[in-house]
Amino acid sequence: MSSALVLLSLVVFLPSVGALALAFFPRKSEDASRWFALATTVVTFLLTAWMAIPGDGKSAQFQLGVAEMQNVFNVSWLPSFGVQYYMGVDGISFPLVLLTTFLSVLAMGAAWPIAKHVKGYCILFLLLETGMLGAFVALDFFLFFIFWEVMLLPMYFLIGIWGGPRREYAAIKFFLYTMLGGVCMVVALLALYFNSDVTKLIGKLSPAEWRATHLLDAYDSRIDAAVTGDARTFKAVELMQADIASGAATEHTFNILAMQQLGQKTDAFDAVLLGGKSIQWWAFVLLFIGFVIKVPSVPFHTWLPDAHVEAPTPISMILAGVLLKLGGYGLIRICYPICPDAAHDLAYFVVTIGVVSMIYGAFAALNQKDFKRLVAYSSVSHMGYVVAGLGVWSAAAATGYDADYWKMGMNGAMFQMIAHGISSAGMFFMVGVLYDRVHHRNLNEFGGLFAKMPVYCCLAWVIFLAGVGLPGLCGFIGEACVTLSVWKFSPVLAVVTAFTVILTAGYILWAFQRVYLGAEYKGPHEEALVPSTWRERAIGATLVAAAILFGVLPYQTVFRYMTPSVDKVVADLVAWQRRDDAVAPAAAMAGASTEPEAATPAANAVSANE
Amino acid sequence: MNLLTEPIGISHYLAVGAVMFVAGAVCMATKRNALGILMGIELVLNGANVNFVAFSSEYLRSGPRASLGLDGQLIALFVIVLAAAEAAVALAIALNFYNNHATIDVDRADDLKG
Amino acid sequence: MDLASTLPTLLGAAWLLPLASFVIVWLFGPRLGHAGKHAGYVATGAILGSFVLALIALLSWTGKHGVFVEAHHDESHAGAPTAPPRSESSPSKSPVQFRLVAAAAEGEHADYAHYDHEGKAYYTGDWYTLAKFGKLQLTIGYYIDSLTVVMFCMVTLIASCIHFYAQGYMHDELHDVEDHEVTLSDGHHLHRRGRYHRFFQYLSLFCFSMLGVVLSGNMAMTFVFWELVGVCSYFLIGFYIERKSASTAANKAFIVNRVGDFGMLIGMMALWSSLGTFNFGDMAVEDAASGETRSQAGIFSQVRPGPSHELVVPEGMKQAAAATGSEDTERCGYWLLVIAGVGIFCGCVGKSAQFPLHTWLPDAMEGPTPVSALVHSATMVAAGVYLAGRFYPVFAPEALLVIAVIGCITLFIAATIAITAVDIKRVLAYSTVSQLGYMMFALGVGGWVAGMMHLVTHAFFKSLLFMCSGSVIHAVHTNDMTKMGGLRKKMPWTAYTMLVGCLAIAGAGIPFLVGFSGYYSKDAIIAQAIAYKEVNPLWGVTLFVAAGGAATTAFYMFRLWYMTFSGQPRDAHKYDHAHESPKVMYYPLVVLSVFAIAVAWPITIVGDAAEGSPLVHLLNQAVPDGVGSMEGAVRGTLAASVAIPSEHASHVDAIHSAATMLAFSTALGGFLLATLFYGWKYLDPAEVRNQFPQVYRFLWNKWWFDELYDALFVKPAHLLAAVAAWLDKNVLDRIIDGSAKVTLVASRYDDWFDRLFVDGLVNWFGRWTYGVGLAFRRLQTGSVRQYAMFVVLGTVVLFFLLSLFLGTAVGR
Repeated sequence: MSSALVLLSLVVFLPSVGALALAFFPRKSEDASRWFALATTVVTFLLTAWMAIPGDGKSAQFQLGVAEMQNVFNVSWLPSFGVQYYMGVDGISFPLVLLTTFLSVLAMGAAWPIAKHVKGYCILFLLLETGMLGAFVALDFFLFFIFWEVMLLPMYFLIGIWGGPRREYAAIKFFLYTMLGGVCMVVALLALYFNSDVTKLIGKLSPAEWRATHLLDAYDSRIDAAVTGDARTFKAVELMQADIASGAATEHTFNILAMQQLGQKTDAFDAVLLGGKSIQWWAFVLLFIGFVIKVPSVPFHTWLPDAHVEAPTPISMILAGVLLKLGGYGLIRICYPICPDAAHDLAYFVVTIGVVSMIYGAFAALNQKDFKRLVAYSSVSHMGYVVAGLGVWSAAAATGYDADYWKMGMNGAMFQMIAHGISSAGMFFMVGVLYDRVHHRNLNEFGGLFAKMPVYCCLAWVIFLAGVGLPGLCGFIGEACVTLSVWKFSPVLAVVTAFTVILTAGYILWAFQRVYLGAEYKGPHEEALVPSTWRERAIGATLVAAAILFGVLPYQTVFRYMTPSVDKVVADLVAWQRRDDAVAPAAAMAGASTEPEAATPAANAVSANE
Repeated sequence: MNLLTEPIGISHYLAVGAVMFVAGAVCMATKRNALGILMGIELVLNGANVNFVAFSSEYLRSGPRASLGLDGQLIALFVIVLAAAEAAVALAIALNFYNNHATIDVDRADDLKG
Repeated sequence: MDLASTLPTLLGAAWLLPLASFVIVWLFGPRLGHAGKHAGYVATGAILGSFVLALIALLSWTGKHGVFVEAHHDESHAGAPTAPPRSESSPSKSPVQFRLVAAAAEGEHADYAHYDHEGKAYYTGDWYTLAKFGKLQLTIGYYIDSLTVVMFCMVTLIASCIHFYAQGYMHDELHDVEDHEVTLSDGHHLHRRGRYHRFFQYLSLFCFSMLGVVLSGNMAMTFVFWELVGVCSYFLIGFYIERKSASTAANKAFIVNRVGDFGMLIGMMALWSSLGTFNFGDMAVEDAASGETRSQAGIFSQVRPGPSHELVVPEGMKQAAAATGSEDTERCGYWLLVIAGVGIFCGCVGKSAQFPLHTWLPDAMEGPTPVSALVHSATMVAAGVYLAGRFYPVFAPEALLVIAVIGCITLFIAATIAITAVDIKRVLAYSTVSQLGYMMFALGVGGWVAGMMHLVTHAFFKSLLFMCSGSVIHAVHTNDMTKMGGLRKKMPWTAYTMLVGCLAIAGAGIPFLVGFSGYYSKDAIIAQAIAYKEVNPLWGVTLFVAAGGAATTAFYMFRLWYMTFSGQPRDAHKYDHAHESPKVMYYPLVVLSVFAIAVAWPITIVGDAAEGSPLVHLLNQAVPDGVGSMEGAVRGTLAASVAIPSEHASHVDAIHSAATMLAFSTALGGFLLATLFYGWKYLDPAEVRNQFPQVYRFLWNKWWFDELYDALFVKPAHLLAAVAAWLDKNVLDRIIDGSAKVTLVASRYDDWFDRLFVDGLVNWFGRWTYGVGLAFRRLQTGSVRQYAMFVVLGTVVLFFLLSLFLGTAVGR
């Protein structure tokens, strides 16, 4: 337990320790600041990379094939509210953590041309990294929210100070949108918190499930070491029950895993709140808005193009590469498992939002004249796959609760997040390299770059093709999995999804033609178009290598880490659906054909009172 | 009512007191000499004293509500003491004023004008 | 020798060699020799190696299964020692075929053989897994039958020839190049560095991708390499990246292909979500729980389960239909099957440049000529036909009708356009489109072997034709046939090999005796069309279109030859500079012309005496189960009037000889007409042109397809894009900015209220107090006498007031 505490805390807070140390650097030592910040990100990356080497469960290395949380620790923080310093990783969060540290190194490398207030930039950047990492590993909803907001502020300043000409507008817009999301989230958070009641779980969870929630960790020290196994768990449940009865502990919880169990196995969030809809319905809607703003999906996406256009290159990389992923992560970690009823109700709505984002983003991208804006809209389009893939709740009574296609969609969505992290960060980097040279981004004023910057163009070509979703590169796997899974959910939406492939090819290839191909450069500052530097080549080549690696070996690089956890999310939700259908047979379409084996998980549940 | 035809009663005293009071007041209002003003003050005070004594006199008043006892005389004594103290302070002010301005014309003493 | 493990190894190695070459050239291209000269050797060596491996594979295939279907009756024991003993009791049909399934899970070959007396021989297995979700798997694997092997040999052979040829053709790229087609803003021509190695890099990647399509064991992998050949084609068309026209053509090719892929994706989704597998063949899968291997039915055996191999609606599709709440699951499932078939065919339409997506191929001629020869005639565009052939078992009669009609329309449209084209490569491009239409048509009317055979023969003679045209272009530096003429004397090798190509494509031959390769394949197609007409009088018109197309083909091909090689030079300057190409270029021409003549000859190999050519027999081994063997015609379920005749029907003598005569006479007619116009010049084409100006303009402008699509799709797409961007800027952002403005206005009012009322009250009170103080200040005169007066007056006033108001109270 304590090694997890040290390790995860180190991963999360190493960047901010670095930021603190940077604060004592003299103002003039710009190069030293850069190198120090880079070194910090590299060390963080190496830590997580070490964790990625498959382990056997004894060390803190990631254990393959395990769906549950690993490296979990929880320490009481604000006991009166049940807030805990509670973190852990699983197959869903760990790839994203790795992506974050990886992109942070590259983005820091891409920050070399920044010359204004270098020290301040580095400090804010490192704080941002802490915020992102913390949000991915936090398992306490309150802690998650804190990290969520911690990210916001450095981002605001990084755009607002180091951005382009309209940076204030963009920064404020970003801030307001995200704040709106934050407000929605905090309302849902409180609603869920005050309706949570861990005593309702008693009798509903098996000992293993109890242990997986880590709700009882605090009672562990109070139990005699001689008591082991399930008995120990029951003892802990008794202690908790006694504590809650005596008022020594609160029955409310911020524990995300416990909330998931509450949402799926009890009626804690089922009370009618407003307009005939339950608490969890409203919580889902609010959380969905909060996360979808981050994703971003139509119609909450307009902050993204402005933020990207104005943000400096490395921040665009981080913004597209990592921050957007938090939206998808929130959906899969919080929205769906905690509010299964609402998620099931609104599945069609969710997928529609995703599909509309895809096609809308693609159309909007087709019309852009600003290179970076085009890439930003491509992000909207690509992230639409994530939302659609998460939402394809194709399991139904009529098909015998066959959830394989949903698993495929959700895995595809998660892969798409990783792949988009590589390809969009790469695209923004490629745009940034050009902007550093000629200081404009007008698509119609480029051309003929191949002759001037051959290596750069070659790398850019691969990255943009990854954006097109070319097989063999990272963009393909996620898009293919999502697209193929949508049909099972809704053929109509699937057709629209498939249609997007045409548009994607259209806008990216057209842009590529205007910028890189052609006989001569048409814009200003032609003399500045010097071949790429070794630093740029190193970053570009790393991204290209990652794009190829993820595209060729998706299973070995991503899926084998991710799939068990993602499949478990789906399996849990489908198990909920079976129970729900069993309770309300009328809700199940053609329910007669399904047998009542649905009730097995409930039969396994162990009453703690025995 | 004609005071001249009435036997000596409270009204007469009141008339004397009023005359003294008015004379004192006029004296205060018209004299530019500080000492003159002090004299005016004395007159006013003593006019008031006459009234007190008159109201308090058993001989001058009768009836169920006339038993004031020695209150009037007592207040008159207080007033006299007060006047003496006041005269001492006032004279000291006047002397100081004279030392500073070489006059005791009160119209010149406008330092406290707002 | 265990074919189940050697074939995948051989072909896998043949497949990966070009990839290795691609990686080497990509990473070290410019450093390989002077200006990357050795890159050509690397790539050529790789593809030659592939060819050798493919040849070995072919030989081992024929060694095991023989060439002729009947020949290997007793050999079926030989392979796969782990195979269960063949049950001798089962009545063996003639011809006896067997099915051998080699399966491999997760890279290691778990030898698993399965004999089935009904089916054809094939080997399938997985190399590695891309992703796994529950029961669903996306894998990279192989499916090898005789078609695969034949295609492998064909592709690698042609590609080898073209690699050699390209070393000569792309010679200019070894040093700095002045591109005369690109004029810079300062009036000079573009001067750039050579890109010799890039060309071979793309060629290698293309070969790898193309072989991947051929080898692919499942639909997902097919799609992967389908896209990869698409992008290679994009690279190669846009090889001259400085030319706007080239990069536009490249974009057009890729995007139009994506339109086809859109349909293909729909087809794939329909299959995937109902069948749950993409594997073509049956595959042994290891059950993770029990560790047992069980056979998982592939797409083909789900759609056509044994032993009859009749087309049925698979169980999965019925379930999928039921899930939509349909009443008639059989019919609804059948619809799904048709959607799947037509969807997959859409992909083929895109790749094979069929109507209505044919517009990209002529533009693709912007690429260097070896590319046109390899990619845009012989192999990649044929991949569409190949896939249609591979996927044949899934096509319902209704889907086949669509295929036939599309093929028919395509062959007609393209042939008519080719008549008026003057760009030598465009003529060939349209001829390619037209020939691909033939193949599709053949497949659509039930002629699987005919279509596949035409695919192979066409690959040889069309690559030959393109390379000849490249040789001409190399010599005269123009594509315009009106500037050529009389080149026969200058470049005899090119001229006569091209004549061979023309004869082959026209299907020349001595009826019933011998002919060029095209003679056999075209005969077979026409024969199948006649058989089709007999069972479908309604669609009989297709036969006449096909026959007309054959005549037109002969006409425009000889028009091309006459305009280029015969008569007097039209441009003396160009003629003077013309010269025969180097050996490295015309030797491949000779090799290919040998194949163009003889690839379909009914010669006898290894003592097996049988009717028909080895090619046909090899292909016959791969005829999908339940396609060629059935007696009579198969009728559609939704449209019962559609019937697909079996291929045996066309082998009837009456039909066959009619077809031969029809094909011969149409080809002869076309040839004679061309000779009248361009050879003997009895007729003047200009006069005909003036006679029918509208028709001429219509054809010259390629039926206005580009303009039509521009108006129908491109403009609306841009319009929609503009609408989306406008919505963002003017609606969504307006709302956001508007809400910000509302907030600002609200805060302004709030501020105003604050200042006026809240602050105002306090300030007013302060000011008022001050004012009152000022007013009272006046009283403070400093004059003692006044004070005294005030005191007195005040007392008096008080007294009056008191007595006035409180008088009564005090008085009493």
